[in-house]
Amino acid sequence: MGVRASARKVWKVLENRPLVRSTIAIASLLALAGLLLASLAEVKLISLGFMADNASFLLVPAITSLTATMVSFAVGIVGAIPMGLIRSFGPRLMKGGGRTALLTAPLYGCVTAYIEAIRGTPALVQIFLVAQVSGILFPGNPNIPFLGGVLALTLNTLGYQAEVFRAGFQSVSQTQIDGAKAIGMRPRQVFAHITLPQGTRLITLPLLNEWLSLFKASALLGIVAVSELNWAAGYLGNNRSHPIEAYIMVSAVYLAIIIPLGKAVGYWERRHRTPGLGTAEPTPAGRGARPRGLTL
Amino acid sequence: MISVRNVHKWFGELHVLKGVSLDVKKGEALVIIGPSGSGKSTLLRCMNLLVSPDEGDILIDGVRVNDPKIRPEWVRQQVGMVFQSFNLFTHLTALQNVVIGLTKVKRLSSTEAERIARFELERVGLADKADAYPAQLSGGQQQRVAIGRALALNPKAVLFDEPTSALDPEYIREVLDVMTKLANEGMTMVVVTHEMGFAQNVGDRVLFMADGIVVEEGTPEEIFERPQQDRTKTFVGTILG
Repeated sequence: MGVRASARKVWKVLENRPLVRSTIAIASLLALAGLLLASLAEVKLISLGFMADNASFLLVPAITSLTATMVSFAVGIVGAIPMGLIRSFGPRLMKGGGRTALLTAPLYGCVTAYIEAIRGTPALVQIFLVAQVSGILFPGNPNIPFLGGVLALTLNTLGYQAEVFRAGFQSVSQTQIDGAKAIGMRPRQVFAHITLPQGTRLITLPLLNEWLSLFKASALLGIVAVSELNWAAGYLGNNRSHPIEAYIMVSAVYLAIIIPLGKAVGYWERRHRTPGLGTAEPTPAGRGARPRGLTL
Repeated sequence: MISVRNVHKWFGELHVLKGVSLDVKKGEALVIIGPSGSGKSTLLRCMNLLVSPDEGDILIDGVRVNDPKIRPEWVRQQVGMVFQSFNLFTHLTALQNVVIGLTKVKRLSSTEAERIARFELERVGLADKADAYPAQLSGGQQQRVAIGRALALNPKAVLFDEPTSALDPEYIREVLDVMTKLANEGMTMVVVTHEMGFAQNVGDRVLFMADGIVVEEGTPEEIFERPQQDRTKTFVGTILG
């Protein structure tokens, strides 16, 4: 039997077993990573013993990173929804004139300016700025680095999430709004039952992206004395003189959180995708099947 | 039941409705015909206040409803609407599309709402499609769900805005059948349409609009067989070939 024929046979077995395929992929990746580590250890660049001894040290920093990210992301959502609303419907309200326009204009201006400011400056600069201010306002408080860090991340993600929500709300078509109004829904009901659920479904993946970016940005907090993962790597590297091991270990922790989360949300999104809503139609060959030609 | 009194509407510089008046009687099917851009859809949208008239009055059972003191949502519960592009909620199933108005607007319990919704879907012949999403239905089926959604709220009248214009020819019949049944049951309807067969056979009265005014109105026979105005003659001549 030729190679092509046997490959086809293997594919036939695996075709409808995505779980088996994923397991094989993960196992191969882990094996490759193990091989890489083993060779690095072989040439004395890293010490596997050090890594094994200090792995548990990363647990608390990992929790710190996750907490900072989740809290700022959640608070960010609460603020970003009204900001996205103002961004998407502000222009129309202002065009209407009258008192509504007078109230909307400054609000729209402020929100836009805020988003521009956040997106136009480096996250690191924002974090330093908040750290400086909070250090002066609350000198000597031991919780200030963490709280200030969370505040800085919140302010940062707020700017980005507001734009994600704006895009989501704007992509809900006017025909949907008309349909809802025509059955007698009030503006608030139209928003709660039509615009929000449809908009949110369309932005699940952009929001996931923002979460992942934010999680990685939380590494910057180490610089302002928050004991998160990146700080832990620096600590292990400097105080125990094993920087390469430390950064490899921390990278592994980031990957161990980011990859499964991304996969899980992607899977959830495919499972809950509504036919006809959003850009991609569900593929006929079953959930998550890739079109041929794009197969990895 | 619905009276339109000298309604004007401008969109910017464009004078879309130039003083339109009409009356819709209880239980009648009023058909509005006319060339594109004549203001038919805008007139219809004024009647449930999706568009607010710049001048003139809309009266429902004698009550002036384009009044700041009257909530437009209340008016829209009295007067249902069916759109050219169906406007079903894409994130909800057929059943949920009908249910949502009953639970959120009429504030019925979900069991009661579902009972009514299933009955309405049955009425438009789609009981078996209750769990399908709009994207999984044909255009004709979507429009029938939309009719069910409007009827479920038990409106006094239903406005149809070119309900078959977006449909493939093979689906037009099923929608017109549902509408004909409704008219025969005595529902008050205002129908903007290009389906002259429907206007002739089902319409109690036909109103011809052009250029933002009502040019002529009368029974289907009067409009289609003995039109008085030149513009009506030209239009009817073109349409009926």
